[in-house]
Amino acid sequence: MHDSKLSAGGCYSLLLILAATIGLIEYGGLIDQQGSLLITLTFWSAVIQGAVAVAALTALVRAQWIASLRRELLALYPLLLLLALLFALLWPQLDLFPWSDQPTIWLNRPFFMGRNLTSLLLTFLAGRQLALHSTSGAPFKDRYAVVYLLTFVLSQSLVGFDWLMSAAYPWISTMFGLYFFTEALYAGIAVAGLAMLLYFRPRQQIAPKQTARHLRDVGLLLFGFSILWAGLFFAQFLLIWYANLPEEVHFVTERLASSPERELCWLFLLGLFLTPFVTLLGSEAKGDLRFVSAVSLLVLTGLFAERLFILLPAIPHHGGALLLYNGLLFIMLLLVLHSSERLLPQASSERDDTP
Amino acid sequence: MQNSASAQQIEQDVLAAMSRPSRCYLACILLAGLLFLGGMALWGRQIALGMGVAGISHPVGWGVYITDFVFWVGIAHSGTLISAVLYIFRARFRTSFNRAAEAMTLFALMVAGLFPLIHLGRVWLAYFLFPYPNQRQLWVNFRSPLVWDVFAVSTYMLVSLVFFYIGLLPDLAIVARRRPGPVGKIYRLLTLGWVGSSQQWRHYAKLYFLLAAFATPLVASVHSIVSWDFAVSIVPGWHTTIFAPYFVAGAILSGTAMVITLVIPMRRLLRLEAYIPVTHIEAIAKILLLTSLIVSFAYIVEQGLAFYSGNLFEMEQFRFRALGDYRLLFWIMISCNSLLPMTLFVGRLRRNLAYLFVLSLLVNVGMWLERFVIVVTSLARDFDPYAWGNYTPSLTEIGITAGSFGLFFLLFLLFIKVLPVLSITELKER
Repeated sequence: MHDSKLSAGGCYSLLLILAATIGLIEYGGLIDQQGSLLITLTFWSAVIQGAVAVAALTALVRAQWIASLRRELLALYPLLLLLALLFALLWPQLDLFPWSDQPTIWLNRPFFMGRNLTSLLLTFLAGRQLALHSTSGAPFKDRYAVVYLLTFVLSQSLVGFDWLMSAAYPWISTMFGLYFFTEALYAGIAVAGLAMLLYFRPRQQIAPKQTARHLRDVGLLLFGFSILWAGLFFAQFLLIWYANLPEEVHFVTERLASSPERELCWLFLLGLFLTPFVTLLGSEAKGDLRFVSAVSLLVLTGLFAERLFILLPAIPHHGGALLLYNGLLFIMLLLVLHSSERLLPQASSERDDTP
Repeated sequence: MQNSASAQQIEQDVLAAMSRPSRCYLACILLAGLLFLGGMALWGRQIALGMGVAGISHPVGWGVYITDFVFWVGIAHSGTLISAVLYIFRARFRTSFNRAAEAMTLFALMVAGLFPLIHLGRVWLAYFLFPYPNQRQLWVNFRSPLVWDVFAVSTYMLVSLVFFYIGLLPDLAIVARRRPGPVGKIYRLLTLGWVGSSQQWRHYAKLYFLLAAFATPLVASVHSIVSWDFAVSIVPGWHTTIFAPYFVAGAILSGTAMVITLVIPMRRLLRLEAYIPVTHIEAIAKILLLTSLIVSFAYIVEQGLAFYSGNLFEMEQFRFRALGDYRLLFWIMISCNSLLPMTLFVGRLRRNLAYLFVLSLLVNVGMWLERFVIVVTSLARDFDPYAWGNYTPSLTEIGITAGSFGLFFLLFLLFIKVLPVLSITELKER
């Protein structure tokens, strides 16, 4: 049983193999359209960075919500390095962006790659320090949590402004940075919901009350974030709709006028707001593993649909490659979650905060 | 037995704050009262002489009065938010601040509610704001966020009042029990029949949680609507999608600062050091730091994207804010709201109450200036250079603003002598 779990060395080797495979597909002449890697990265950066950010946040505020899952979320830190590796592969693909042939002070190839790669590497280093110090019970882990959260906000803001918004250059929305790091936290809670699927039953045998309470906390957080997300989405959409400026409103109208973006819009509204809100409104549903894990999966699906909604009209892609990359990364996520005990062996992260 | 004794002690200590006022308290009341009366007199003068006594004119038609409205609404919105959110998150340090924060919300809302009337000029026509059947077939413009404001702020006032009052019920019963005579009877009447039975406690806990859960998104929505007063327009510097969360974060920042401004002297004057420990004030200082970081993030994003967009009007607006005629106010705003709160990363400063008190005052100054900069600079430099023009507040506007602070502090000072400033029941639980 133990052999199926990854060690730290094995995990990093596998990440390198994964990055090399994706690089081979992108540049080995196997696909005719690039762009799938960018779409994949915009989604997985939110999922991975968000999951570690949720763990950092709960550690910082001494919160007991999802405390029993903190180690599993922190164990995802090696995947932060994978994001940096995959982003480096984007270097030859910057022609995808409309600003590439008319560079500006902010939007030019070297600066774009430099700042994003730096922020991704900083996020990895901060996440690694946080994870290792949390499990060893060493002092100053609060500082690492603060540093990680600052790098997380920086990195996700750059994801919003650079990776997504600049694909529709010169269209702007000042909300994008804040909107995407909030979404990343939402994704992190959804990952906690999925981790519950793996760990609920074994943990329930050891600490039934605590495990049930944490499951309810995940449900409650998913419900709360669905309202927060809807608020931010509405605040952004309302202003664009109300002002009705041609240079702003085209971003929405061209997406709603074509398929599959129109359907994707409904899908992400369902996944990110309507379903979590309606399903988890009742008290019982929040404590039901089936509901919480299904909603978590749907939230992640909604998040992916939203990335497609934003990027599809602006960025070409290869459907097969998109499916393959996301499938591989999903398997990698499950494998790391499954191996968390080996990746972060001393499980004091949740114990040292428990009163 | 020991528990019972300490419960008695808590009651005694908290209710001692409601005893005979000291000279210092009376001096504060006098000062606040004079400020308030001065402001009222100036408002009377404005009603008598007309809006010409205010500095607002074309192109800056919104000046200090709208700044004051947004400032006080911001203060108001964070009080209930601090109380309700901390209750939902089961943060124990809430007990040191919740009553003062909730009271602050109500008083700030009362003050804020005056400013649309003051700004209106012909205040006797204020009822035009409400959609009522009339023979002239006048109807309010429901597409205007100003009307959304009327509904949002009045709904918020109602919910905040209920939240405050429900939280008070068990404490009112304690005051009624401890106060003999007709005063005690009045408090007894206000308890609405509270006897502290287990059934009442069960209902109370459910209702209080429900109200906290209801108030939290309401707060965010109300200040979002205030931000839309500006953002739904297409004026450069106002029409920006981040405005709603930016205003909400700004409201929490200013409200947290105001809570610190009120609680630190209150703690000392009313000898409540044992119930408001420094660790709790440090916790609220962390909230101040967090919201300051969010507000700073919004400053950077606004400025940065104005230049990213290449939009001439937006670029000129943000250049004007930082380097134009109002640059001094802009840089004071940045210093007070972004740079100085960063010092709270140092734990020693978070625990230094004198430093925190001064910092909270500066943050309040910075947040008032932030609203002033947003309101005035965008109107002063609109699209058409032929319509540009600066604005300087008149003495009447400054006096009315000072009067609003007088009213707010007067109400708060009266509150600490009439109602328990800390939640006695929650302190007993703690």
